[in-house]
Order: sequence, then C-alpha cells, then structure tokens
Amino acid sequence: MTATVAATKALVVCDGAGRTFGSGPTAIVAIHGVTCRIEPGQRVALTGPSGSGKSTLLHLMAGLDHPTVGSITWPAIGSRMQLRPGPVAVIFQGPSLLPALDVVENVALPLVLAGADDDDARRRAHIALERLDLDSLGSSLPDELSGGQAQRVAVARALAGSPRLILADEPTGQLDRATGRQVIDTMLDASTHSGAALLVTTHDDTVAENLDERWRMVDGCIVPDMTAVPGGEATCSA
Amino acid sequence: MLGLTWIRGLLARRRGRLLAAASGVAIAVALLASIGSFLASSKATMTRRAVADVPVDWQVETQPGANASVVARTVASHPGVARASDVGFAQSTGFEATVSGTTQTTGPGLVLGLPQSYRAHFSGELRDLAGAHTGVLLAQQTAANLHAAPGDTIQMGRAGLSRATIRVDGVVDLPQADSLFQKVGAAVGAQPQAPPDNVLLLPSNEWHRLFDPLAVTRPDLIRHQIHVTTAHDLPNDPSAAYTLVTGRARNLEVKLAGAGLVGDNLGAKLGAARSDALYAQVLFLFLGFPGAVLAGLLTAAIAGTGADRRRREQALLRARGASTRQLLRLSLMEAIAVGVLGAAVGLAAAWIISRVALTSTGSGAALAASVGWSIAAALAGIAIAMAAVALPAWRDAQSTTVASGRLSRGRAAGPRWLRWGIDFALLAGSAVVFWITSRNGYKLVLAPEGVPTISVNYWAFAGPALLWGGAGLLAWRVSDLLLTRGRPLLRRAARPVAGRLSGIVSGSMSRQRRPLSQALVLVALTIAFASSTAVFNATYRQQAEVDAQLSNGADVTVTESPGTNVGPVQATALGRIKGVKGVEPIQHRFAYVGADLQDLYGVRPRTIVGATRLQDAYFQGGSATALMSKLASQPDALLVSDETVKDFQLNPSDNVILRLQDGKTKQLKPVRFRYAGVAKEFPTAPHDSFMVANAAYVARMTGTDAIGAFLINTGGSSPPTVAGRVRATVGPGAKITDITSSRKVVGSSLTAVDLAGLTRVELGFAIVLAASATGLMLLLGLAERRRTFAIASALGARTHHLGGFVWTEAAFVTLGGLLAGLVTGWAMSNMLVKVLTGVFDPPPAALAVPFVYLSGLVVAIVVAVLMAATASIRATRRPAIAMIRDLA
Repeated sequence: MTATVAATKALVVCDGAGRTFGSGPTAIVAIHGVTCRIEPGQRVALTGPSGSGKSTLLHLMAGLDHPTVGSITWPAIGSRMQLRPGPVAVIFQGPSLLPALDVVENVALPLVLAGADDDDARRRAHIALERLDLDSLGSSLPDELSGGQAQRVAVARALAGSPRLILADEPTGQLDRATGRQVIDTMLDASTHSGAALLVTTHDDTVAENLDERWRMVDGCIVPDMTAVPGGEATCSA
Repeated sequence: MLGLTWIRGLLARRRGRLLAAASGVAIAVALLASIGSFLASSKATMTRRAVADVPVDWQVETQPGANASVVARTVASHPGVARASDVGFAQSTGFEATVSGTTQTTGPGLVLGLPQSYRAHFSGELRDLAGAHTGVLLAQQTAANLHAAPGDTIQMGRAGLSRATIRVDGVVDLPQADSLFQKVGAAVGAQPQAPPDNVLLLPSNEWHRLFDPLAVTRPDLIRHQIHVTTAHDLPNDPSAAYTLVTGRARNLEVKLAGAGLVGDNLGAKLGAARSDALYAQVLFLFLGFPGAVLAGLLTAAIAGTGADRRRREQALLRARGASTRQLLRLSLMEAIAVGVLGAAVGLAAAWIISRVALTSTGSGAALAASVGWSIAAALAGIAIAMAAVALPAWRDAQSTTVASGRLSRGRAAGPRWLRWGIDFALLAGSAVVFWITSRNGYKLVLAPEGVPTISVNYWAFAGPALLWGGAGLLAWRVSDLLLTRGRPLLRRAARPVAGRLSGIVSGSMSRQRRPLSQALVLVALTIAFASSTAVFNATYRQQAEVDAQLSNGADVTVTESPGTNVGPVQATALGRIKGVKGVEPIQHRFAYVGADLQDLYGVRPRTIVGATRLQDAYFQGGSATALMSKLASQPDALLVSDETVKDFQLNPSDNVILRLQDGKTKQLKPVRFRYAGVAKEFPTAPHDSFMVANAAYVARMTGTDAIGAFLINTGGSSPPTVAGRVRATVGPGAKITDITSSRKVVGSSLTAVDLAGLTRVELGFAIVLAASATGLMLLLGLAERRRTFAIASALGARTHHLGGFVWTEAAFVTLGGLLAGLVTGWAMSNMLVKVLTGVFDPPPAALAVPFVYLSGLVVAIVVAVLMAATASIRATRRPAIAMIRDLA
C-alpha cells in the first residue's frame, strides 16, 4: 500500500524509509520501505518480536541513523542537525547514563549541549529529577543506582529539555514489571504534562496498552492490519 | 581449548590493547638487554683498553746484591710471562753539547740500556720525533735542553770515570715516562716520583760497554729491570682481571724471594679500570633500572586501562560457570602472550640498537655476557607481563563477585597511601639518605689501592630512588587534590577548551581522578627520568671536556722546553698555520712564596679567553671575567691557591712578595704582587698550588717575556690535524699536544668507553617512554570510554563538545605531568650529580642543561598527545548508534 503523506505539522515523516545493513549476499534488510508519521502529542506503542526492526526504525526517526532507501523528514522541527539536543529526546535500551557523571550532570548534559549555561542546566536538571522523585539521587553515580532508578534518570534526562518528541527504545526491557510500570507512568505523565509526542518500542503488551495507539512491526514492516490509527498512518511498501 | 579460544578472541577483538601492553614489555626488555649488553661489552672494552694502554706490564727490579741473570731466568719462566727484556738504568753526572758555537750543560741524568728487540716488544714506550729510531736516542726534553739534534755529538758524564762522547742518532718522546721511571716497590699511597729531566737511551751492548765499569766502582748508580709483557688471557671484567694479574705478580715476588720487586703497571691500570667498571655498573643502575621500572609501570597502566572491561568479562565467564582456577589460567595465558610477544620484539629492538648505536667488542666472552643479559631481560619482561596482567586479574578473581564485576568502577576512592602519607615519608627518607651519603663525601665506589676487594655504597642509590618515588606519589596527591577540592579552579581552567561544558568536564575528570592521576604520575616519572638522565649526561660531557681543556690547556698546546727562551712573537708564526684561529701565549715560571716553590702563570688577561675556556668555577672571589679584568686593570694583581691564602693568612689587596728568576742575572729577585683572588684550576696548571698573574707585569719585573706555552684555538678544525701541522712547523724542540689525544690520556677508562652510545640509547628510550606514557595512556583511556562518547553523541554532543572532554583531560595530564616531571627531574639531577661526584673530574660548578634535548622531549610528548587526542576524537565521528551497538 502506498500513500501520500501530508507533511505539514508532523513531527516526523517516514516516506518509504528502509534500512539495509551490509551489502551483497550477506546484506540484512532491517526495515523495508516504511511510510508513517507522528503528529504532535501522539502517543504510539511500536510493538513486535525481537529483530522485527523496531529499534532501527526508532533510530532512523531520531536521526541517529540514515535510511538506505526512502527518506525521513521532520517537518515541524527542521533538519536532522536540529533534532538533538532539544526537540527530540531518545531513551535507550539498557544503561545509557555516562558513568563518570553524577545524576544531575547526566540530566544537565543535553541542556548544556543545547546551549544552556552550567548553572541553569543544573537547576533545570534538579527540577526534572524532582518531578520524577529522583532529587535525592542527584549526587549519585550511575553505578550506584538500580536498573529502574537508572532508567528513570534517563527518562528525566529526556524530559529535562522539554522535547517535542520522545523516542523510547524498550525502556522497560531490563526491568521487572513493577519498575517498568513506574517508568512508563513517568513517561506518560511527562508527555501529558509537556504535550510531547511519544513513541515507545516494546514487546510487552501491558506497556503497549498504556499508550493511545499501537503499531506492530513484523520482519521490517509495519503490518497493515495494525496501521489504522487516528491522526496518523503507517504503511510498509515491502 | 578454552584458553586457545580466549587468546584467539583477544587477538581478534583486543588486538590493540594486547599490542600496547606488549609494547610496554618490549620497551623494558629492549632497554635492559641493550644496556646490559653495553655494560658487559664496556667492561670488556675497559679491560682491553687497560691492557692496550700499558706498554710494559711489569717492571721487575733486581734488588741490590741479587744475581740479575737468575732474576731474569726466574721471571722468564714464570707462568703467564710472554716476553721479558733486561733494561739497564745508570745515573750520569750530566750531559753537555756544543752546538753552533754555544755549549749547553745539564744536571744529572739517567741512561737506559735497551735490548735491540725492546722497541718491537714495548712499542708504546718510545715515540720517534726526529732522526733514526735505533742507536743512541735522546729524550725530547734533554735534546731541547742541549739544543741537540740527530747527528750532533754530546758528552756524557760518569761518576769517577772519564766522560764518554756519543753521537746522537735520534730524538724520541717517552709518553709513559711516569711509569718507566717509577720507584718500584714504593709504599702504597706514596707520592709518585717525577721522571728525570735528562734521559739518554743506548743500545744494550753500548750501555754495557760504558757502564759495566761503573757497576764495579759505583754499583749504587746502576740498576737492572726486567720489563715484562704478560699473557693477556684475562677475564672481561676488569675486577677479575685485576685479581688475576696482581695474583700472578705477587706469586712472582714470592718466587724471587726478595731478589726482585714487581712494579705492576698492568695491575695498577686494571685497578683504576675496576672502579670505573663499578661506576659503569652504578650508571646502569641509576639510568637503566628506572627506565625498566617505568616500562613496567607503563605496561601495568596499559593493562589497567582495560581493567573494568576485564572485570566485566570475568564476571560473565563466572556467570557461565568458569571457576577461579580457569579464570586464572586465562589471565596467565594472556600475560604469557603479552610477555613473549613483548620479549621477542624487545630483543629484536635491542639487537638493532646494539648494532646501530652501540659499539660491540664482538669477543666471545662479551657475546656470552650479552646473551646472558638478553635472557635475563626476556625473563624480566615476562615477569612484568605477569605482574601487570595476571596479578590484577588474580586479585579480582579472588575478590570480585559477578554482580560487582559487571559494574564499572564508579566513584574512585583515593589510594590508601594518601592517607598514610607514604609520599612524605619517601621524600623525608630521601633527604636523610642524601644527608648521610654527603657526610661520606659521596664516595660510592671504594677501591683501595692494592686491595683486591672493592665495594659499592649501594645505599646511596636509595636517595635518588626515594626522591623519584616520593615525588611521583606527591604528584598523585596534588593531582587528586586538584581533581577533588580544586574543581572550581579546574572548571575555570577548562573553560577556554571546554566552554560551557567546563563544569561537566571537570566533574567527569573528578570521577576519573584515579586513571587521570595515574597517567599524570607516569608522565611525570618518565619526564623526571628523561630530564635527569639528560642533565646528568650533559654535565658529564661538559666536565669531561673541562677536564681535557684543563689538562691540555686548549685545542692544541705548544709547550716550550724548560730553559728555552721563546717570546710571544712566536704566536704570529703559529697564527699563520692553516686551521689556527687564535694563539695565546702563556708564561710559565717558578716562584718562591716563602719557602714554597710554586708554578706561576703569566697571562694576557684581555685575550686569554679567545684561546681557552675559563669557567667561573675555576676561581673564588669573583667570576672568571671579573678576575681577568682585575688582572688587566691592576697589573700587579695575583691569583693564588686557596691553600696559599690559608697558609699566609692573605686578605684582598695584601702584598705578596714572590721571588722570581731574573731573565738577565738568572738570580732570584723579589717582586711585589697584590693578592686579588683565588685560582682553583687553570688551563695547563697542576692540580696543586699555582699562581696566575699579568704576563706584561711579570715580563717587566723579570726582564724576560719568555713563554711557557702557546694555547691554540682551532676554531672547529680537527685538533690532531692542526697539531700535526704545528709539529711540522715548530720541530721537535717543543711539545705539541692536542685535546683529542689528551682526552684519551686524562680520561678514565669509563670515559674511554662508548658512553655517547649509551647516552643515545638512554635518551632515545626516555623519549619513547615519555611519548608512549602520554600518548598510549590517553589513547587507551579514551578508547575505553568510546561508549560514553557515543552516548553523549547520541544525546546531541558535536565533535567540538567531545573535543572539550578529550583536550581538557589531555592538557591536564600533559601539563601536570610536564610540570611535576621537570621539577622532579631538576631535583633528581642535582642529587644524581652530587651522589655521583666520583664520576666527575673536576666536580661541576653548575649543571649543564641540554635544552635542545629537553625541547625535543617536550615536542615528542606534545606530538604524542596531539596524535592520541586527534585519533580519539576522529573515532567519535562514527555513527553514534553503530558505536553503541558495537560496544554494548
């Protein structure tokens, strides 16, 4: 199925975007030509089995990787160079805090990178941490945190810069159910509070149920029966 | 099986780290093997040169009343004696020659009877200057005293007998006059006997014809010596060779049972060489050992940069059921791989170094010693690898749990020694040891004359070693303090490089303070080693040059024979010789100060510095320039020895009345001088008391401007070549010496060995170590944090942001290491030069700082840092997500 994507207000638009790793006979197609868009405030769960291409698609949307076919644009934001730090925040699968920085510094880092001065960045980091009830951990180092705490700090880091799009890659993948629930709730609250759009990759149905929409990926495609989403559409041209 | 898989994995995935650790081992092995081989080789060289420098190994003097032929037979049949020649010594009442209508006479002299084969067997004893090389030969000074030349006839006086008339066939120099005319059997420590002024050499049969009658009437005026060449089947080590040679000599004396005494020239020469050999060993300890320690520390630090990763890997293996024993086996295999690879590369490098930079004796025994050193160095390399790679892994395997191992080390605690103040204790210990050593007069090597055993005060080594270690730990303390309590300062300092990120960068550095301080200390220790070695070597070279300059006077020195009357105008003729840049005449007189007869040197104070170098250290009471100016402005000014000042209680401007020989009347006449300062050393002057005055004043007061020596500055032309030209112009009447030959004569056997090669090797290694310590430490430390940089990049950090982290850390380690290293190096240089005072003659007044080398060292370090930092930053340009995926 092909579609012409209206790209006026969308935060991210994938137009037949595909990603192949390697070349020749050993090449691996991670994503076939995917066409989809995310509008402001939209909250999407991207589900699917391991290896289906969820993370790759998220990385493409975050501008961390380039599509080998098709294109990805960010109409409401601008060019790829303008994505981070600022409008787009990424929460990675697994530990992603910088081990040599304490919690406050980890949260403040994207703010400083975005141009804030050190004191202002630290102040805003403290606010973000307070919002997630993490302010008591401000001077802790990543190695001193539990997995859940570390992931919540990563969420705080993503939220501190008031992004317009939060891309979370399996944020609960390495957490127990209760902690995972806590992290998801935090992200949803933050999204509600700031109005940021949210895309969460997960293969946990209980996580997906908490989001407004669900896209399902199988073998590098967003499968057709799951693409009927209000406010946006997603297809695969494979 | 698991081990092989592990090693294969290391080679495939951790090749860089493995090679870096192996390179640290290789540096240690190459340094130890090359310096060790040099030591073995130089000991052999010292023995060889000591033997080569001695023309007559033993002078066996027949004692009064003994049967000379029996003594000769006993000596000839003694084991170890290769050749023996009978030499007669007879005293003459004096010589007389009438040349060109004037008659010259001399005081008493000595006449030697030499067998026909003497020159062939003891070639170093005579040097031809003019005429035939056989027949009747006149010593150079005697020829000058008599104004005699080959073909002239001279009269020789014999006590109680008629004069003999002899025709001179040739004029010779006696380069080994001191040993040739020694008093055989003199007590140990006795003052050496000055050689006679007048010497005539006769063929043995002629000598017997002229002096056998004298032996009947005045046997006290006749002596016989057996000159011996021994078999030179000596051990390489001068000490062992000394023991063998002196043992043989003593054994001969026992056999002779009082009929003869042995003047053991070879033993004396080897005795000096053995203490030099020990000094060479001391130099090895001082200069080579710290280099190997540094290479070991570097290897440990390189292995340490991957410690977090190794702990995680160990934890994963343990989680999959690996036992502690299996983990240990794996780390041992890794250590052996690093050690064997490093040892192989190091030995290959040492082989190349010994071929290119060091001269090898190539003798079988030296070769065997070199192989021994190579094996020892390889074993040391493997031991270093074990200590650096396997030991920490063993420690971790004993104490780390699976969970803790999977975490990286976060908040680094300060080392325990910081709390215990070990750094201060080491520095205090260094000061105490240095003080104790200085009370002993810095005597490191004790080699009493005539005693076979020698000893080294190894305790003195502790001073510089403790200073080195203590300063390194103190640098760690300061670095740690700066990275914790000094964060605000660090933040301000980082701002020009890191900009807004300076706060976060300083925070990151504070958490990384252990590896950063470790890298800084390693850089500091390396620079301290390199700079102190360089300063020591430069000072050593400087003093060797000063020693040669003092002994020879200038590049080339023309010493007029006593009694000749050559004026300063001769300088004009000398100045025309090709290669001569400047000529400075110096008067040499003898003057009585009270009852003491001392050398007096008359100089032209305004021009003397043009021909020779006068150091401030030669004088007391003013600089060289100031005192020469005083001599110029105040012609009756006199510089005297310190001893004279004390003996006569002199104060500045005191009158000093000297008695000098008048040029016309030849009688002593009092001449008034004024004491102006102290001269401790002066070119061509003896080490004991002498005086320096204004030449024009001396000439005016004595009525003669006769010159003692001409100092020639060759301005860069080869001194031996210019000396040859001067000799051809001046003829045999004057003695011409050049500084190149003088270095060989005055220098100890230590200076005679290829110390320049050793210096090149050490300084080269120091640069390699310094560049490796800074470059590799930074590169590996930053490589270990590639994931951190990738995450920062994914968060939006651009290259210049990451550069802020990299350059700030690089600047901290490099500048901190340079500062701490140079300060420590300066302190160590001072201590080393003091502790090794025995190596220097004369002791240096100031250190020689090799600015070119030190600049090169700094440049090498900066280039290594630039390369490491640039490579680290370039590596961050890969797509962040690819790096995060690869490094997960």
